[in-house]
Amino acid sequence: MTAGMILLVVGLVFVTGTGLVGFYWAAKSGQFSNLSDGAASIFDSEEPEGTPTDRFPSPKRS
Amino acid sequence: MNQPSLLSSLHPATEPDTLDSTDRAKIDASTRLPVLLFFGSAIFWLLLGSFLGLLSAWKMTNPWLLDSMGWLTFGRLRPAHLNAVAYGWAAPAAIGVGLWLTARLCRIPLLHSKLLVSAAIIWNLGILVGICGILIGDGRSIEWLEFPAYSTPILFVSYALIGIWTIIMFRFRKPGHIYVSQWYLFAAFLWFPWLYATANILLVWQPVQGPAQGAINWWYAHNVLGLWFTPIGLASAYYFIPKVIGRPIHSYYLSILGFWSLALFYSWNGLHHLIGGPFPAWLISASVVASLMMFIPVITTAINHHMTMQGHFEALKWSPTLRFTVFGAVAYTVVSLQGSSMAIPSLNTITHFTDYTIGHAHLGLYAFFTMMMFGAMYYIVPRLVGWEWPSASMIRWHFWLSAVGIILMVSALTLGGLLQGLALYDVKSTFRSSLEFATPFRYLRGVSGFVLMAGQIIFAILFIQMLLKLGTPKKGPALLGKPDDATV
Repeated sequence: MTAGMILLVVGLVFVTGTGLVGFYWAAKSGQFSNLSDGAASIFDSEEPEGTPTDRFPSPKRS
Repeated sequence: MNQPSLLSSLHPATEPDTLDSTDRAKIDASTRLPVLLFFGSAIFWLLLGSFLGLLSAWKMTNPWLLDSMGWLTFGRLRPAHLNAVAYGWAAPAAIGVGLWLTARLCRIPLLHSKLLVSAAIIWNLGILVGICGILIGDGRSIEWLEFPAYSTPILFVSYALIGIWTIIMFRFRKPGHIYVSQWYLFAAFLWFPWLYATANILLVWQPVQGPAQGAINWWYAHNVLGLWFTPIGLASAYYFIPKVIGRPIHSYYLSILGFWSLALFYSWNGLHHLIGGPFPAWLISASVVASLMMFIPVITTAINHHMTMQGHFEALKWSPTLRFTVFGAVAYTVVSLQGSSMAIPSLNTITHFTDYTIGHAHLGLYAFFTMMMFGAMYYIVPRLVGWEWPSASMIRWHFWLSAVGIILMVSALTLGGLLQGLALYDVKSTFRSSLEFATPFRYLRGVSGFVLMAGQIIFAILFIQMLLKLGTPKKGPALLGKPDDATV
């Protein structure tokens, strides 16, 4: 087995492994429960739900 | 701010919870230098890459154009165009958006800015060496991997630095939920170095023999789109659509399902490029099946984005970010369903080897990905430089030139490609007539390139004005004014 092939097998196992471990960890640590809180996690008191955060600049310069 | 050193970030014994809590404005500010560096260089390569594309498009209709210059022959120009826009524009734009989103979603200031600045410089050096290498004739005839062998390690080093940075950021993140965009980003940042290294080992370092090269080539080329550009484009849509309109994503469950099904099915897709080629039938069949299974992540994403927007479509009038992002999201649905259909062998027989495929590629990389990146930049840049975009009408021009240009380009290539494909398939038609069918559509494609470039030049001017702070100082912490007094 050449060095390249060994690297490939290690890479393949690593990538598949991180995927599986990641999925298992996510399920265990509650990432898949309480989904409505998850969806709202990008909002906070400073930029709450219901507040738009982007618009075209106003035509007049102040 | 007590930032850990690079060594202590990597040391397993370091306690991750050492960072002070900071507000959003400080997190945004901490990303300024690396993100603007990636954006700025990306826009430069976009202009250059598009110019190279425009030249190659005109060479298709006017073969005598610049025929005395060896370094500008079609065989060098076209790969230079592809690599400049894919690795020079799309990848750094994706990295810039990814860095900013990662910092926001980890809820910590960006760590190790110097590491990222060096990564940006090394990356651009790699692109420069690669593009010059292709133009002087050192390019390799492997689609999507045309960069000469001496430039790829430079890119890999830069890329690995960013991969390490992602892991550090993830480790030091503030406790709490991991938002769906971060799943996409984290996965993309880890997948790409693996794809790039594997393809380079198997095709350059220790090349496999015979048809296996084609299989590796298309496994890589398709995964660059599906496991690198697509996840970052979607991460951007999943963040900006809810954030701009101020409403959580419609079904968070579907977004998670979309992510994991993409991760499961996408890497099988590449071989549908080789339908009819000298490969074991099971390999092609598995790829066709996986391509059709892509309906699951695509439709979940489409439903989700549409239902989130439902009742908020008037927001498209007042938000530049949303306009570009929603255009990109719709294009994602269209390009993905089209891509799945192109894997069906009976349709593939007609469209393969025609301009139809080129139209599909531009629908994906421009109408979906590039528009998504423009949208993200319209949101991010004002928050980094603290200025408003100087001109609303220039943003509108940019949007409409991009939208009309890309629709024109994709329609011309799709229609021309179909006619070309049907003529190629027809035993009574000569090969020459199949080319003649495509010619008027190729002129149209050349025109559409000008329209797109005009939009890009407007965007570049806007970006430079922002860097030189020629706009109005930004009011308030996040809102660029109130949406109710906006003009359309």
